[in-house]
Amino acid sequence: MRPPALATRALALLLLVGGSIVFLIPFLASLSMALKSPGELATTSPWQAPIQPTTDNFRTVLTNENISFLTMFKNVLLIASLSTVGVVFSSSMVAYAFARMKFVARDKLFLLVLSTMMLPGVVTMIPTYVLYKELHWVNTFLPLTVPAFLGGGAFNIFLLRQFMMGIPRDLDEAAKIDGAGHWTVYWRVLLPLCGPALATVGLFTFIGAWRDFMGPLLYLNDPAKQTLELGLNTYNSMQTTSPWHLIMAASVLVTLPLMVIFFIGQRFFIKGIAMTGIK
Amino acid sequence: MRPSVRFACCLASVVALCSVATADVTLRLVVWDGDDGLGVVRQAAKEFEAAHPGIHVRLENVPYGQYATKLLAQVAAGASPDVAMMEPKMYQGFARRGACVSLDGFFGQTPDFRIDDYYKPIVDVHRFEGKLYVLPRDIAPIGLIYYNKRLFKEAGLAYPDGTWTWDWKPRPELKEKDFTWVIQQLSKRDAKGKPVQWGFVPAWTRAFADTVVYSQGLRYVDDPVHPTRWNWTDPGIVKAYQWIADLGMKEQWIPSSTEISNVLMSSSDKLFLEQKAAMFQCGIWAVPAFRKALKPGSKEWFDWDITLAPGHIDPRTGKAVRAAPTGGSGYAMMSSCRHQKEAWLLTTWMAGPPAMRLMAKAGLAQPAIKRLALEEPWVPGPSTPEDQRYPPSRKFTDEAVASVVFDPTADYYLELNTYYESKVDSVMAGTLTAERAFSLADNDAKIRLRQILNQQSLPPFNWPFAAIGGTAVVAGVLLWLYGPRQRKLSLAERKENRAAYGFLLPWIIGALALTLGPMILSLFMSLADWDIMTPAHWRGVGNYTEAFSQDPRFWGSLRVTALYTVFAVPLGLVVSLAMALLLNTKVKGIALYRTCFYLPALASTVATSLVFKKLFQAEGGLINSVIYGGDGHGDLFGIGWLLEKIAGAPGPANWLGNERLALPALVLMSLWGAGSGMVILLAGLQGIPQFYYEAATLDGAGPWQKFKAVTFPLLTPSLFFTLVTGVIASFQIFTQAFVMTSGGPNDSTRFFILHLYNQAFEALRMGYSSALAWILFAVILVFTALQWRLNRYVHYEAEAK
Repeated sequence: MRPPALATRALALLLLVGGSIVFLIPFLASLSMALKSPGELATTSPWQAPIQPTTDNFRTVLTNENISFLTMFKNVLLIASLSTVGVVFSSSMVAYAFARMKFVARDKLFLLVLSTMMLPGVVTMIPTYVLYKELHWVNTFLPLTVPAFLGGGAFNIFLLRQFMMGIPRDLDEAAKIDGAGHWTVYWRVLLPLCGPALATVGLFTFIGAWRDFMGPLLYLNDPAKQTLELGLNTYNSMQTTSPWHLIMAASVLVTLPLMVIFFIGQRFFIKGIAMTGIK
Repeated sequence: MRPSVRFACCLASVVALCSVATADVTLRLVVWDGDDGLGVVRQAAKEFEAAHPGIHVRLENVPYGQYATKLLAQVAAGASPDVAMMEPKMYQGFARRGACVSLDGFFGQTPDFRIDDYYKPIVDVHRFEGKLYVLPRDIAPIGLIYYNKRLFKEAGLAYPDGTWTWDWKPRPELKEKDFTWVIQQLSKRDAKGKPVQWGFVPAWTRAFADTVVYSQGLRYVDDPVHPTRWNWTDPGIVKAYQWIADLGMKEQWIPSSTEISNVLMSSSDKLFLEQKAAMFQCGIWAVPAFRKALKPGSKEWFDWDITLAPGHIDPRTGKAVRAAPTGGSGYAMMSSCRHQKEAWLLTTWMAGPPAMRLMAKAGLAQPAIKRLALEEPWVPGPSTPEDQRYPPSRKFTDEAVASVVFDPTADYYLELNTYYESKVDSVMAGTLTAERAFSLADNDAKIRLRQILNQQSLPPFNWPFAAIGGTAVVAGVLLWLYGPRQRKLSLAERKENRAAYGFLLPWIIGALALTLGPMILSLFMSLADWDIMTPAHWRGVGNYTEAFSQDPRFWGSLRVTALYTVFAVPLGLVVSLAMALLLNTKVKGIALYRTCFYLPALASTVATSLVFKKLFQAEGGLINSVIYGGDGHGDLFGIGWLLEKIAGAPGPANWLGNERLALPALVLMSLWGAGSGMVILLAGLQGIPQFYYEAATLDGAGPWQKFKAVTFPLLTPSLFFTLVTGVIASFQIFTQAFVMTSGGPNDSTRFFILHLYNQAFEALRMGYSSALAWILFAVILVFTALQWRLNRYVHYEAEAK
């Protein structure tokens, strides 16, 4: 593509900078509140930058013995990584079948897959809890990781199926002529072509697992097994005078790793694509 | 339990009293304390273990908001903890269904235990049908007024001694003995008539309203344990709420609801700390936070103390009646506990002198044992460290207990009360008069109340019928999937078929083992009356007919949800598409821009909800600052004028407090999360092969033609996905309303799932909730099927020939 005209570039830059500011506001406000002392927080506007910035709140959150940050960080890292691996592989397999193969009741079965998204989780929560209890999975990481390997959820299957349907069949047909079976086509041809979509699914899964609250809340009892999002909610006690300086510091600390991951991961939306050569 | 084990347990508990144990027992203790409180509980548990060798305590904590939900799941699965924290409004649901045991039989096991040591009201409120189910650990009268001594001195007023009374009008002749006059004296306005200081602010409106209602001798229901009548339309109650609304909006002696939402961090305590309100009504639990914020010597510091909330002169007797709302909590022993004697030891420890002294020392909770509430460390004394002396008049906390009134404990009280409670915001915002609001609420609540009171006993759940029905459903689905086929499959087709099911295997295993079972069970339960804790009863299609014809909230919540979907989904789609196109450009630092745009979708819910509450503030909120300018008199593109027309109320837009603006506010808020859609579309854009653009350029196409001929068609699969999943998610919107508005004001954000969730976990009607869920399922299915027709406009490269 030839470079767009100067005016277009200027407009794009303006929108990018302006938009970034708008979307940064919530985070900046959290950060600013996290950097204030309780006294200053109580007496200044949230939009005002800290007058005497302090890292005390971060230190408190990081070193609180009752709520061990490091333990919770390790737990959620393990859960989120396992889920991501599981979802990326299993949902892409299922999506491949729906996008590329012909089989009995394919479209109806796809509707069935989608329908699992349509029933509110509130009413399946208790039966699911009882099920996991009978499996002796309560108070382990299994309820939070095993389902990822078993299909990876309708949302991800649907997303990957859509993406795969958008990829021309030229390459897989060429591979088939060379004698490749479905597994080879899936593993060698389609997966590499799905880079951006796989990155999206992986990213969503990781963020979702990292930020999941109800899952860990229900299934993890031991404080030593808690995840960050759950454990740091401890600061948000029922009292009307919640320690917002700590809640904000905790929330910034939970978000930071995700920011880094997204910042690095967004490259894959570009790099993963190798389609220029297809004709 | 085998007899020998039981004997060992008995022995253990007896011996444990002498701090020698024989058998090791592990007890699970669950609390909702967070932060400071959790540290104290943990220390108390450690000291218990040290004093009782052989008994181990596994402390679990669950945030208050989800505490009951998790405990219910655990009770349903037979996995509940041994000792659980409880409070008056929570325990009856468990006690009534036998999920926790009555404690009376254990009293004799502890030699020096006397239930009379405890404050009587907090013990009585935990009795259900004559039996005690919760051993109280603290009592928290909300009839306390924090006051700013500096502002009192400045106004030339004597410090309150707690003997004052309130009346509907200031009584100058009574001077400082009249609360309303004091409020008036302590409020100030600037030259333009804008309030700059308020006399008084309650921690939340109900705290003050309840005080005004109770001290008139009125109650919200006729019987706190088995209520059959709700009194919200009583003239005294109506007058109380109208009076408070007028104090805020007309007299401006207390902050109006708009102003409270303006200043509060999470509550109005900030006004008191900022010295903008001279008095603050709250329970004693604000003290630790106040001590931290008002360190002696810091520039925020001012001299403060507490006193009692005012009483009200009974016109008949001429005597002052004092009454105020109350909180409190304690510990219950769950029925599934297998080591009841040890659990009792733990209960009396955690709700007894050892733990109470620790809580008192931290200033967190007033001991439920009267004796401990009169001595150090609760009441400051000679050995109290300097930083723990505030507030000096802590003795008032004991006097406050004499006038406590608890919320009714009936397990259906909370559900019915939401009908009235959800109208309070509208009264305070002035969009409805108290009389009109509560009579509207009364109409709806009466329908529900009649159902509750006339509940007939139902037959046990018809499992054989359900099993047959369930089999029929499964058979029906299988028949629909694999019904009579048109033709026989060829060999190649059969091979492909087998291979395909191999690829599907992970999903099939997951569905059969984990997903479909609970779904089918919830379908069964939609035909049942099921309270989660006891076996279900058969209700047939009763839940469905109730939903369509008797539920006062069914159609309203469906309408609100549909309205949200109609606006949020298309707007979200357009915004994320625009963002994706913008972020697909090649400029320096694009990674950084992408991260910025996506950031709101990453942030944690609790923190974000607070920030958004502040964004949407009527005054000082960023959004209104943009619309009305820094001085508050501007009007950007006439948006302010438009908002005023929509809101039907003058002044700056009170986004979350006005019932016509709350839903638009949530739609607007959802746009900040458009980053997720952006990422999907960005991935879709990146998936478009470059050579199409190259070909288009060769053909001499401009940017718009390229978008029309290449970008848009090839993006349709991703757009279609975003639309379909967007609609599905939007119909199930919950969290935003749960944390931001709790369904208010006046039900304007009571989404379908919020209603369904409250029915399931607040009203304990999982059966009815399941029916609602399956109705929503059907609605979403229909909309998805309708959207599926758009598929023909979706360009699938793989199908293109």
